[in-house]
Amino acid sequence: MKNFRYPTAAIAGAAAVALLAVGCGGGDQEAASADNPIELSITTFGTFGYDDLYAEYEAANPGIDIKPNNIDRGENARTEAFTKLSAGSGLSDVVAIEEGWLGSIMEVSDQFVDLNEYGAEDIKDNWVDWKYKQGTDPDGRVIGYGTDIGPQGLCYNGKLFEAAGLPSDREAVAELFGGDDATWDKYFEIGQQYHDKTGLAWYDQSGFVWNSMVNQMDEGYYTADGELNIEDNDAMKKQFMQLAAGTEAGLSANEKKWDWGKGKAFTDGSFATFVCPGWMLGTIQTQMESAGAGAEAGWDFADVFPGGASNWGGAFLSVPETSEHPEEAAKLAAWLTAPEQQVKQSAAANNFPSTVAAQEQLAEEATPNELFNNAPTGAILASRAEGVTAQFKGPEDSVIQDKVFSAALGQLDAGSADGEASWNEAMKLLNELVVNN
Amino acid sequence: MSILEKNTAGNKTSAPSRPGRPFRQRIFGNGLKPGYLTYGLLLAFFLGSAYPLWWSVVVGSRTNEALGLDWPPLLPGGNFWTNVGEVFDTIPFWTALGNSILISTIITVSVVTFSTLAGYAFAKLKFRGNGVLMVAVVATMAIPTQLGIIPLFMVMRTFGWTGEIGAVIIPTLVTAFGVFFMRQYLVDVIPDELIESARMDGANMIRTFWHVALPAAKPAMAILSLFTFMMAWTDFLWPLLVLNADNPTLQTALSQLQSSRYVDYSVVLTGAALATIPLLVLFVLAGKQLISGIMQGAVKG
Amino acid sequence: MDCENVMTVTIKRPAPAAAPPKAKSPLRYRLSSWDLKFSPYLYISPFFLLFALVGLFPLVYTFWVSLHDWHLLKGQGEFIGLGNFATVLQDRFFWNSLGNTMSIFLLSAIPQLIGALFIAAVLDQNLRAKTFWRMSVLLPYVVTPVAVAMIFTNMFGEEQGLINNVLGNFGIDPVNWRTDTLPSHIAIATMVNWRWTGYNALILLAAMQAVPRDIYESAAIDGAGAFRRFFSITLPSIRPTMIFVIITSTIGGLQIFAEPRLFDPTDPGGPQRNFQTTVLYLWEMGFQRNNFGKASAIAWLLFLLIVIIGIVNFSISKRIASADSKKPTNRAQRRAEGKRK
Repeated sequence: MKNFRYPTAAIAGAAAVALLAVGCGGGDQEAASADNPIELSITTFGTFGYDDLYAEYEAANPGIDIKPNNIDRGENARTEAFTKLSAGSGLSDVVAIEEGWLGSIMEVSDQFVDLNEYGAEDIKDNWVDWKYKQGTDPDGRVIGYGTDIGPQGLCYNGKLFEAAGLPSDREAVAELFGGDDATWDKYFEIGQQYHDKTGLAWYDQSGFVWNSMVNQMDEGYYTADGELNIEDNDAMKKQFMQLAAGTEAGLSANEKKWDWGKGKAFTDGSFATFVCPGWMLGTIQTQMESAGAGAEAGWDFADVFPGGASNWGGAFLSVPETSEHPEEAAKLAAWLTAPEQQVKQSAAANNFPSTVAAQEQLAEEATPNELFNNAPTGAILASRAEGVTAQFKGPEDSVIQDKVFSAALGQLDAGSADGEASWNEAMKLLNELVVNN
Repeated sequence: MSILEKNTAGNKTSAPSRPGRPFRQRIFGNGLKPGYLTYGLLLAFFLGSAYPLWWSVVVGSRTNEALGLDWPPLLPGGNFWTNVGEVFDTIPFWTALGNSILISTIITVSVVTFSTLAGYAFAKLKFRGNGVLMVAVVATMAIPTQLGIIPLFMVMRTFGWTGEIGAVIIPTLVTAFGVFFMRQYLVDVIPDELIESARMDGANMIRTFWHVALPAAKPAMAILSLFTFMMAWTDFLWPLLVLNADNPTLQTALSQLQSSRYVDYSVVLTGAALATIPLLVLFVLAGKQLISGIMQGAVKG
Repeated sequence: MDCENVMTVTIKRPAPAAAPPKAKSPLRYRLSSWDLKFSPYLYISPFFLLFALVGLFPLVYTFWVSLHDWHLLKGQGEFIGLGNFATVLQDRFFWNSLGNTMSIFLLSAIPQLIGALFIAAVLDQNLRAKTFWRMSVLLPYVVTPVAVAMIFTNMFGEEQGLINNVLGNFGIDPVNWRTDTLPSHIAIATMVNWRWTGYNALILLAAMQAVPRDIYESAAIDGAGAFRRFFSITLPSIRPTMIFVIITSTIGGLQIFAEPRLFDPTDPGGPQRNFQTTVLYLWEMGFQRNNFGKASAIAWLLFLLIVIIGIVNFSISKRIASADSKKPTNRAQRRAEGKRK
């Protein structure tokens, strides 16, 4: 994956292949033109950074009119997608799917167009292997082109670190947490020191830390062969109790996730570290803009992550069977996820591409990110992506993350439950919402 | 409770003029002639009613920063048109408005027509089962529409109507309340002798309905129209389930705005203010009728 | 609906009709008699046909679905009898949602009634610019629940919300409007109250205006103050209308959806479900957890609850209404009628 010498040339090549591929895509439908305009709807969620790309695509493809629809969060996008799936209509021509609920989509993968029919095979080498495989169903049908992946680095607030007498330079910070051997023990230990010194919280809330921990395990909520793997999972519980101990010691700011006091919590020193998969940088950017803040808030991004490599999230673009223009939709999805566009998307939304050539380019360019104290976020993420592997996601993965553990950890954050009680609540919720739903 | 009846009585008796009554209290009034306190309270009610709406205009014409100020700003800023542009970029506002108007109008016409017909039959015509069926109507008023969403959703799916505005219209083509309301009104308003004499003159049933019942029913039909329109206009749960982002009603479009512009709070508030304009215009034009409708109908749409 | 109540007071027996007119020819007579006989059914049939289709059928079919395992996407599964009902009745979130619904309902119904009474009493005077003041209290009614929810959700923001900002100026700590249970109920009840209080005030005002002025005048001459007059004349006179208002707000209150749904767009009813109402839970069950079987069971249980509350309401209001008819309303009404003639 790191063997390309000339990333730009590689991209050009890959893009050419992509264009060629979509060009030969089968189907006898008349192509869109200025005289034969086609409307393509696309539904994304969170911060996707596609706005400029839509305009670019429309300009390059006369007759295509893109109708974008963005939903605030992956979770709500899932509800919307399933409601429309069951209604049998109403899904956009291109639908973004989040990794966490890809498992539930795979159960109904026949509702989505097999992108092989539109040249997926020819561009498959664009993506890192595991991403392409994730988008392929057990029958070998490709139902989604990868957009981004979520390798995790550590966001930290340099100003707060400095004020607490910690190093604030990002190399030193990476070193502080243990570099390549960073562990959660170390993370909580430093957090405790920070808290003792300043009385402030270390992380915004427990849920995201927990998601990072679970995503880092070889097997998460499900075993690789699809069995639920939580209740008697001692390693998982041990990890949970470690987090609980930290939170009970006051390390959690108990912020409302996805809200963060309308972004204000990022600017007022509420917490000093933040677990950051690539796309989260975009989320932070949006939140800071909403709070009217910028680089002066002091955030930075370190090439380190407790417990080693971790991938949280990432998305796919798929084309539902209900689309009236599957060929045009597949072409748009392929174009949007081609390396060249992934680089642009990454520039707009700060997320990290899933195609090899785009990753190479980000690593090579190492463009400083102004909002994060000029950290070369793309290059850091490329480094963080090393060693990341795909974890099997079961059908209820996102429910377990967003409804079971998130709710239980919420009680922990609020101080209304201790670690043991919170874990028990999670097991209870698991039974109610997943096992016996 | 015959509000209808009482109110006509009340209107006649209210506003009595009592010349020469001694001027007792400037501040408190005496229950017959209100004092300053009364007008002060009324002003407070007015401010309480209007302020949230005004606030959404104020913040909606500024940026998010307006939300963070210790004291809320009182005057609009200069960002209104930018925000309006954002609203129009995010949601198909005009489609939504058109849909809402179309849906509410069709539902209103249907409900009022069928309610008047049935209400007239129940109020003035003799037929076997009149009493039992009327009890059935009253009983069905207790059935909240939300309880049927699951089968209705399945029906719409089966027929492939999801996404079409017809899916929103069909479940509310009739309401038990409308029938009951029209019956209650017509039973007192049309003297039986009038119907009899029309029949004596050789008018058939439909002519009798047309020439006797309909003119008499007009005021109640107007009130029922207002309430039905409001009900259809404000409905949220059902359209949310069956309509799509590109073909919404104003209410679902608005919620879509909140979900996609979740960090642009000022834009969300601009949208809320914009979406209120159509009913506000209606209110300014027909507020008097709406008030007398509520006071005469004493019903909750 | 409260219509039961309305009916007890309003329905009057139609005066007996005269015999049908004599027909001249047998054919015309037969036609006319068919006309007479079948027209009523023709007039009521559109309602009943449509209602059977969109009201009755869904209700019955909901019951059928509730007896099965039924998945949003996978469709009908096994027949499990009342299994879904049993599970739902043991489901802590169902009871939680009922408790929330009740609490929000009480927090909206009671202040709303008191507020509406107060506003109506203020409006029930010889005001200048009467229509303007009436319109001003009705203004919130034209703001739809979705818009109300969006406006108030921002006002009640925990950080950077209007209300917490202003409280902060007085040194009051920010209130957790969304995460704490009671404050979240108050916030949602405020949305409901803001929209409906003025509306209900106008209904009560209508009732108050029907009380003849001379009762007040003679009471005033007897030395009764404004408060005394309000409590001993106005309140008893408008009791049936007050019951009407209570019942309509009950029915509305049990079905509240848009406000709690939009108050936290992320987690329906809050992360800890602290303001999840029953209809919201029904929605979550059906369209987030995709369990149509259990969602249908919830729908039926909610329906039964509404029926039970309706019956209780009905019997209470019947008693009050009949007790009432011996008291001032009747007298007032008679007087009013006397005046009309």
